[in-house]
Amino acid sequence: MKSKNLVKFVSAIVAVVVAMFFVVLLVAEPDTDMVARSPLLGQPAPAISSRTIEGDPFALERRKGSWVVLNFFNSTCVPCINEHPLLVDFADAESRRPDGAELYTIINDDNSESIRNFFDKNGGDWSKITDDNGAIAVAFGVARVPETWIIDPNGVVRLRITGELTEGLLGRQVDLLREDFSS
Amino acid sequence: MFLLAGVLLVFGANRGGGPKTQQERIDSLTSNLACPTCSGESVFESRAVAAEAIRSEVARQVAAGLRTDEEILGFIEQRFGGQVLLVPRADGLDSLVWALPVAVAVFSLFMLFSAFAKWRDNRPSAPSNDDELIVARALDERES
Repeated sequence: MKSKNLVKFVSAIVAVVVAMFFVVLLVAEPDTDMVARSPLLGQPAPAISSRTIEGDPFALERRKGSWVVLNFFNSTCVPCINEHPLLVDFADAESRRPDGAELYTIINDDNSESIRNFFDKNGGDWSKITDDNGAIAVAFGVARVPETWIIDPNGVVRLRITGELTEGLLGRQVDLLREDFSS
Repeated sequence: MFLLAGVLLVFGANRGGGPKTQQERIDSLTSNLACPTCSGESVFESRAVAAEAIRSEVARQVAAGLRTDEEILGFIEQRFGGQVLLVPRADGLDSLVWALPVAVAVFSLFMLFSAFAKWRDNRPSAPSNDDELIVARALDERES
């Protein structure tokens, strides 16, 4: 092949690749879903153990047999404060079910005193788990709060919700997962 | 010159740095991890909460001594995604990051040499016998 033809050939390939990039950019949907991807989905939940703010031991793998919802929380984070009433409603609804999910708050970069004051003021009698050095956050790949994770009774991570919860989202997702799990 | 540069490059790349202390391992690992909540900062540099948490986890795993550096990076990558690695991996689709610049450089050099070769071929060459004959005839005609 003469060098002139080779230049044309390579230029054509480069043009096609650039055009394909533009097509991908134009066609790609923005990733705005609250239900987020994670390599942990479908995998056994990380083996985390810590203590509640009351000092009781907590080990996630001992919660097998129940649906578990972990909510990563900081009492100064505005979306966390905004979604709190929805979590209170969710916990209330789940407590009335025989197979109700267990809700746990994972404290993210906050102190027990602030957490205790916040929950005294805003309600929520579920356990609050301390996360020294952010080990639980790293185990789940949580960089920002709030984040909410759902773990099935087999201890498998089923869903990750990033950002502030919307009305009814958590209850709907847990119900859908329950149906899927029992079928 | 190129050969010497190549030999030095290979020697430098393979030269062992000796055993690292735990702190050196932690610093080296966290320098290769991007802070997931900052822009353009490594976990080593950042004081963000997420970066502090990752730094603590790296320190914990290094102290435990159960994982190699590669395994620790893999653990963090599995949690936070491939974007947490400041140095892309050299396998799968990521390998394009390394291969494409080399391919472009090789292609550019090839095109450059082709162009030079073409220019060399187009240089005016020494006059042929026919050319000399024509010039001689023209000179004769002018003199006569």
